[in-house]
Amino acid sequence: MTKWKYWGMVAVAALWLGIALIAWVKIPDALSLQERRPLAQFPEVRLENVGNGKFMEDFESYTLDQFPGRNMFRRLKALTHYYVFWQGDNNGIYLTQGQAAALEYPLRENSVDRAVKLMSGLQEKYFPDSRVFVSVVPDKGYYLASANGYPAMDYEKLFAKMAAMKNTSYVNLTDCLSGEDYYSTDTHWRQERLFNAAGRLCTALDIPAPRQEEYRAVAAAEPFYGVYYGQAALPLKPDRLYTLESELMDQCRVYNYETGATIGIYDREKLKGDDLYEVFLSGSVSLLTIENPVAETDRELIVFRDSFGSAIAPLLVQGYKTVTLVDIRYLSSAMLGRFLDFHGQDVLFLYSTIVLNNSETLK
Amino acid sequence: MLFSGIPFLYYFLPGVLIVYFLMPNKLKNGFLLLVSLLFYAWGEPRYVLLMAAAIVLFYSYGLAIGHSKKPLARKLWLTAAVLTGVALLGVFKYADFALENWNRLTGMGIPLLRLALPIGISFYTFQCISYAVDVYRGEVEAQRNIVHFGAYVALFPQLIAGPIVRYVDVARDLEHRQSRWEDFAQGLALFLVGLGKKVLLANPLGELTSLFRQTQEPSVLYYWLYAVAFMLHIYFDFAGYSEMAIGLGRIFGFRFPRNFDYPYISRSITEFWRRWHMTLGGWFRDYVYIPLGGNRVGKIKWLRNILAVWLLTGLWHGAAWNFVVWGLLFAVCLLAEKWLPLQKLPVALRHGYVLLIVLISFVIFNAPGMAQAGEDIAGMFGFLGIPLVSTQAVYYLRSYGVLLLAGIIGATPLMKKLWLRCGEAAEILQPVGALILLLLCTAYLVDGSFNPFLYFRF
Repeated sequence: MTKWKYWGMVAVAALWLGIALIAWVKIPDALSLQERRPLAQFPEVRLENVGNGKFMEDFESYTLDQFPGRNMFRRLKALTHYYVFWQGDNNGIYLTQGQAAALEYPLRENSVDRAVKLMSGLQEKYFPDSRVFVSVVPDKGYYLASANGYPAMDYEKLFAKMAAMKNTSYVNLTDCLSGEDYYSTDTHWRQERLFNAAGRLCTALDIPAPRQEEYRAVAAAEPFYGVYYGQAALPLKPDRLYTLESELMDQCRVYNYETGATIGIYDREKLKGDDLYEVFLSGSVSLLTIENPVAETDRELIVFRDSFGSAIAPLLVQGYKTVTLVDIRYLSSAMLGRFLDFHGQDVLFLYSTIVLNNSETLK
Repeated sequence: MLFSGIPFLYYFLPGVLIVYFLMPNKLKNGFLLLVSLLFYAWGEPRYVLLMAAAIVLFYSYGLAIGHSKKPLARKLWLTAAVLTGVALLGVFKYADFALENWNRLTGMGIPLLRLALPIGISFYTFQCISYAVDVYRGEVEAQRNIVHFGAYVALFPQLIAGPIVRYVDVARDLEHRQSRWEDFAQGLALFLVGLGKKVLLANPLGELTSLFRQTQEPSVLYYWLYAVAFMLHIYFDFAGYSEMAIGLGRIFGFRFPRNFDYPYISRSITEFWRRWHMTLGGWFRDYVYIPLGGNRVGKIKWLRNILAVWLLTGLWHGAAWNFVVWGLLFAVCLLAEKWLPLQKLPVALRHGYVLLIVLISFVIFNAPGMAQAGEDIAGMFGFLGIPLVSTQAVYYLRSYGVLLLAGIIGATPLMKKLWLRCGEAAEILQPVGALILLLLCTAYLVDGSFNPFLYFRF
């Protein structure tokens, strides 16, 4: 064994043991900012846990989550994956046309059917006489996947199933959007580019469309690192998040049923947090009502929505006295009657393809 | 606990090594036995007592065979040892398969045992049986120290996935091995090469096979992509794990036998099985085939011997009909090679024939049942009425193209030849390569959750 090999292997062994020692003594982190999730902590040592193997499973999760330099190693893996092995996606995230997007396939027809059944049940139970509209927000894969050779779900079949819901009017948004209307590092659409989509919805709802010249886009001071930024683990350029402001929006108030607080249409405190997109109607909130104090109508709208609805709902308030947003991922639909009085309001089901394809989250 | 897991790589192994190299030599086997049982208990807390019982039993059988003067007594003790091994496998691995088939044949409803398969039982049982037979044959002396014997049976580097190490191969190392930095360095380098094969090649290719199973867009291309990916996956998974085991053994001062020798470059199925899972093939040869008479018997008996060995080889890999068919397919090929002049075919055709047979055999091997195996093979040859290509198949061919190419090249001795040509430069490159492999494998493990190991189920 030559001197070089001798000392080279000593260095490799020392590095390995060094990383191990750091892993043993490292103080655990609570959260992963990149992945926006709590990190596993050292599991409880109990005879039962050890006996049934749960301790071992949890310990493995702990060691993965708390590994020293975890983000650096994740990035190294992502770079190797993309640029050495030329793999098309890393953890299901692919890069194309300056966008990071998730592989959303295959179409889970059972999931869509379940969502349709749930929505039809809501209609039958709470608002059989209301005007009910259904619209689907295509995820960005609709515009990017097939066109760039990535596998995509059968979107047309999904849209057809939603359009076939009885006693509802279907509003197609696909031709109002493009891949550029989404944040490059995030799953969501950009509010400042939603005038066409909002206009299409307004036409269907028979309310005036928002007039672009009345709004100004205000950039958030902090860069926006979307959810795909963390998942891709690549050095992507962050987005700039904009909110639309107008005289009307300044006057609107938002009542949060969870906290009992009334704030403005944007929750600017969230711009200091980890997920800037939560500036739109405070993020994951089960029940909110936007009140339009200058409305010239008594019409009301109830929107059953996911997170995509947070950005577009403020562009619908000009036609209503109130717009109530319900997120049945966080509030059981069976309990809706306790919180809401249904009395002939317009109803809009606005869900993204991602949620419809994974409708187990809808309660 | 998997070798290719962060808990093993950065918690268990470094801790064990630090203590092991600091302690006096006479305590080392005891320590290895202790940590090996801990290693086993980590993945299978319930069955650590079963393994301890196997150690005590076969240690006793060894002593009984070794001390008995009368041939009949020796034979009886050997029979007891073999039956104990067979019973262990029978109860924990084959009972439900037998009961299912019995119920199906007779219409009876005998309840199944539904016992979880103890990890590594096929490996350590075979080692125990070989030990008893070798003592009986007088090839080795019975081990008097139960700690040494326990360390041999439970030794964690080869406990759960082999290679199947015969006692005779490590008897000397168990009592007289030395700790040398050269062994540590070579062992570490080999371990990292094996880790790289497992983590950088086998795991991603395994992901591709899982993606194929979920597809709603089957196509002929996708079936072939799956078959080739699985063929490479199982090779790098098992060969990588074997190399990790051999490397770990070397770190601790043991010399384990080689288990793979580029099987996919074989020009006959006979040659393939001399290169694939060599320790299993050797075990069946020495403890089943030759005792049955090998090829020094009449044609009928020889045919029986071949079929018996390959039926057992198939069943060793799993208690299901597709494993039986898998084993018998090789038996048929081996017989055909004896009787037909296949060696007169051009070399390229012989390579092609071996690769095709092995490819189809692994499609059968990986199917959850014979019906699925039939469907997979029909899909490959366009009998399912599916399109030739699909968007998904093209995407994954593109996405995994480099990995597949790396796998194909890695399955040949090309890299080894290049490495040998490097001469002195290889001495410089080895630590650099080891460092890159360590960092890359760590990165893949930290980021990934897909890290199964197929041979756990054996």
